[in-house]
This record gives sequence, C-alpha cells and structure tokens, in this order.
Amino acid sequence: MTATAKSLLMRPRFDRVGLLITLLTIFVAIFWLFPIYWALVTSFKPEQDVVQPGIEFWPKNFTFESYTFVVLNTKLAIWYMNSIITSTAITILVVIMSASAGYSISQLNFPGRKFLWWMILASFMIPIPALIINHFVLMNQLNLINTLTGVVLPQLIAPVTVIIYKQFFDSVPKDFRDAAIIDGATELQLLYRLYLPMNWGITTALAIITFIGAWNQFLWPFLVTTTEPMMNVTVGITQVTDAFGVKYARQLATAVLAALPVAALYLIFQRRVTQAIMLTAGIKG
Amino acid sequence: MASVELKNVHKSFGSVRVIDNIDLKIENGSFCALLGPSGCGKSTLLRMIAGLEPVSEGQIFIGENEVTFTPPAQRKVAMVFQSYALYPHLTVRKNISFSMSLAGMSKQVQNQRADQVAKLLQLEPLMDRRPAELSGGQRQRVAIGRALVREPEVFLFDEPLSNLDALLRVQMRLELAKLHLDLKTTMVYVTHDQVEAMTLADKIIVLDKGKISQAGTPLELYNAPQNKFVASFIGSPAMNFIPATGSAANKKDVNLIFAGGGKLKLSRQTANTLGETNNIDIGVRPEHLHLTDAGNKSIAFSGTTTVVEQLGNSTYVYVDTPSGQLIVQGAGNLKITSGTKVGVTIDSNSAKMFGADGMLI
Repeated sequence: MTATAKSLLMRPRFDRVGLLITLLTIFVAIFWLFPIYWALVTSFKPEQDVVQPGIEFWPKNFTFESYTFVVLNTKLAIWYMNSIITSTAITILVVIMSASAGYSISQLNFPGRKFLWWMILASFMIPIPALIINHFVLMNQLNLINTLTGVVLPQLIAPVTVIIYKQFFDSVPKDFRDAAIIDGATELQLLYRLYLPMNWGITTALAIITFIGAWNQFLWPFLVTTTEPMMNVTVGITQVTDAFGVKYARQLATAVLAALPVAALYLIFQRRVTQAIMLTAGIKG
Repeated sequence: MASVELKNVHKSFGSVRVIDNIDLKIENGSFCALLGPSGCGKSTLLRMIAGLEPVSEGQIFIGENEVTFTPPAQRKVAMVFQSYALYPHLTVRKNISFSMSLAGMSKQVQNQRADQVAKLLQLEPLMDRRPAELSGGQRQRVAIGRALVREPEVFLFDEPLSNLDALLRVQMRLELAKLHLDLKTTMVYVTHDQVEAMTLADKIIVLDKGKISQAGTPLELYNAPQNKFVASFIGSPAMNFIPATGSAANKKDVNLIFAGGGKLKLSRQTANTLGETNNIDIGVRPEHLHLTDAGNKSIAFSGTTTVVEQLGNSTYVYVDTPSGQLIVQGAGNLKITSGTKVGVTIDSNSAKMFGADGMLI
C-alpha cells in the first residue's frame, strides 16, 4: 500500500454534501415541528400571556388552566366519543367493503368486472372535496344531516384501499385458492378465511391509516354537523370560544387533546403506518 | 375408492385446443400416472378431473356418477399441489382440519381425525408449527395429510415431488407407493419425470400435445412403444434413434441400410407401411446395443468412443458413428477409454422401426 493510500485511509473523511443534507434535513424537521411545538407550549400558557406582543418560546407562567377549562366546560367527552364511533365505523366498513371489492375484482369473473375496475381507477381523477356539495345534498335528502351516519357514509369512498387489496389478492398464488375450493370453501370463506388472513399485515396497515384519516377529517364533519352533540373532536375545536372571541390557549389545548389518540396510535404502529403510507403513495404516484 | 372415466374430453383456451378428444378409464384402486413434457396438457387434464377447470366438451365420471359440472368439493377428490399450497397463516393441525372446519364439523371430530392422519404420516410433533417452519419433505407430508383427511375416493397429485431434492424425492416416492398400498385408493399422478411414473404407477398415460400418445403398464410402454414420442420419452438414458433406409424384403421383414453402409434385417411389428420415402428411424435402447471389436463382421456400425460415464452398476459409452452419436450401455466394470475405435452390434429382437410419421412399423 502506498503512503498516499495509507494516509487516505487513516484520515477521517469529511463529507460536505452529507453534512449539508443533514443540516437541511434538521432545518426542515424544525420547520415542520415548530407549529406542533408552538401549539403545545401555547396550550400551557395563561390566555393573557398568549396575546402579549413578542415571541415567548417557553411559558413564563406554566398552567393547566386551558386543559381544565376544556375538559370541564366543553362537550369534549361527547366529541371524543363521536370521533371514536365514526372513525371506528369508517375503518371497519372501509376495510370490509374494500377487501370485498378488491377480492371480487381480483378473483371473480362477472360481467362488467373490467368496467368496475376502470371506474374505481378513474375515481382518482375526481377529488373528494369536489363532491362535497353533492354529498351534502344527498345526505339532506336522506335526512342524515346532523347524524353520525351522515358523517360516516361519504367517507366510505376509498378507491385506494380497493386498489391495494386487489393488487395483494392478485399476488396470492392460485394454488391456495384451488386447494381451498377443493376443501369446500365458498367465495366468502375464501375471502375471510384465506385471502384476508394471508394479507393481515396489509389489513392492519390500511385500517390504521383509515382510522387516522377519519379521525383527522375536518371539512365534511364540519359541514354535516351543526349541533355540538353531533360534532367530532376536530370540529369541536371551533366551538371553544367565548363571548369575547377566540381563546387561543383553550383551542390549542383542545387540538392537543384531539391529536393525542392519533399520535399514540402512530407511535404504537409506526412501522405499519409507514408501510401503509408507502403503499398508498405507490398507488397514487 | 372409485374409477375415473373421461369420455371425448376436449379443452380449449380461446382458439387453442389444449386437450383433444381424450378417452380414458382409470380403474378403481389403480395408480395412474399422466406423463408428458411441459405443455402437453397433463395438469389441465388433472384440473378438469378435480373440477378446477371447466370442460369444453365431453364427460367426466367418478365411479358411477357423472361429475362434469359438479363443483370440486362435491367430487370426493383431494388434490396435492406441486407448491403444496399449505395455508401459511395456519398451523399444521389447522391446515389438515381446514376442510372439516369449513364443513362445520365439531372441534373434537376435527382434532380426532387430524390426529389419526398425523399418526399415519408421522406428523405428530409438527402439529403446532406453521408451514414456514417445515422442511420440504414435511410440507409434502402435510399436503398429503390435508388430502387424506377428506377421505376422498380419488387422490390427484400434480407433480408433488418436483420441488424436492433428489434424495428426498426418492424417499417420498417410496412413501407414496406405501400409502397407495395401504389405502388402495385410486390415485392420478401428474409428472414429467418418467422415473417417477415408471416406479409408482401401474398404468401410465403418455400425453403429447393434448392427445393420448399411448397408455399401458410401465413395462408395456418401455418394451413396446407404439410411436417414436413414447419411445423417446420413456427410458433414461433415452432410446437411440438411428436413421436408415428401408425396403421390404418380404411381407414381414424389412432390409435396412444405415448411413455408414451397415445393414440389418428387422421384422415388422405392426401393419403400418414403410411410407413413400422409405426413411425409417431405428429405435434401440442403450442396453440393446453392444460394443465389440471394430473389425468384427457382424457389426452394424463402427465408430469412436467420445465420453465414458461409469456409474458403478453400469457404464454408458457415447460412440460417434456415421449414423450419429449412439449411447451404449455396458457392464459396470467395463474398461474402455474415450477415443477408442469400436464396433457396435444391435440386438435385433429389441430394435424398433419407426416410420416417417413416427409410428411403429
């Protein structure tokens, strides 16, 4: 080995590009995290401190006043319950319907199968908010305004999950299906006892991301619910005001409380959520 | 136990006919092998018997019952797949019990029958494992167990040993043979491996391009192939085919002249004619060719040895002759090296003549 080669090996390499990328990543992370930090910090400030001029990165007077107010004086428990009910219902129904639709398109032969598939693919081209007026009119005609059913129904449109299921069911080797058919399985048994359990990881990932999406949904529940007892927690935040207008600390305390279950869910199932995001990104990409 | 009968069965995928007018009967309790190269339609035929592939034309009977349009689960057949198709999310016990569970049988009955099968196939220590935790041979036994527990009248095997290594394949072959002796259930076995077919089956059906080329016992196919395809497919190493020009010596005998000038007289075995061109292929198995001195007057060919394969119990010698390369089987202790000039004689009683259409003459 030459002396130059030796010195090259001995000397720690200084990767300028790597350092630059790291610094950039840290900056983007801080930029992204700051609103969350700000909301959290503000929720622990007294209301009069929040509206003081200047930037206060850490509360001078640390208080739980906003949290106690929100818990004791608003309908937070009801909003939480509504969120749990609607998000769980949406998750269960989306998974069942998407798995069934994905299975049908993937495994069954029926007239119009290809047309149905193209319709599902084409439904990507229409953004859901563009349908929101139609949904509102429809829910109104069905007398479902201000009901939890009205909150749930339009959120069951989930072409991405249908496509993901179809793709995964396509990849299941045909021998499994043949073996189960010889064993006497019906189509429903094939789906629920073979295809779904064999793709359990995907179901978990899709269920978690659907639940998080439903929990965070704001626009549609905001439109369809007008009375406080029917609101979910994201819409409920808008109700945390008093006669003197917006109370930032209280609203942010409600927002922090609203985000807690989703944050917990994400931390517990981080790997599955990332997997689901990658799956849906792959489909949408 | 039940026989399997196919009457004028056709199968087409679009305009492509993959099974062409198959008529066959598999006797009650027999072990029948469907043998043929890839793409000959043997797996399609098996899937049609199972009910997994609809029949385009014709009828299928299992026992006395026509099952052409009967759903697979009601045909009283069980199938073992090449990939084993063990449900990966279920334990061995649940894999074996799956069909009973679907039928709504009680847990007690399921466990009882699964245990019986496990005992028969020595699967008892593996019952709580998942397929991913099993070796190839163990997976194969579980797949057989899953078929066995259904107490079928006909077992269908679709190349079940293809994924196993050579040693395990021999072992499993023996286990399958024993299983058939014990159960005496009708078994239909698809394979492209003629050794598997010869060793396991009491009847072999050779398929070529969706048609039955020949059906018979293993020795019938080996000793009396009716066409060049069967002659070439059965036997390892394959039969030698030597081009020759034939002329009728009399009503029974044919005079043959080989490319190197060698002559031979063979008797006809069928009423088939020589054809217009008189071009004939002589089929001789390696064990029916013999090496001798190059100067011997009775030789059909003279040539030079190229490769010598010594297997211990026999020796295969590859000889380059004016009629092409021949494989000659010799004794295990044969002393010969490559590059030796040799003469080759033919055991004329065992040689076959095939016409230009590939049929036995």
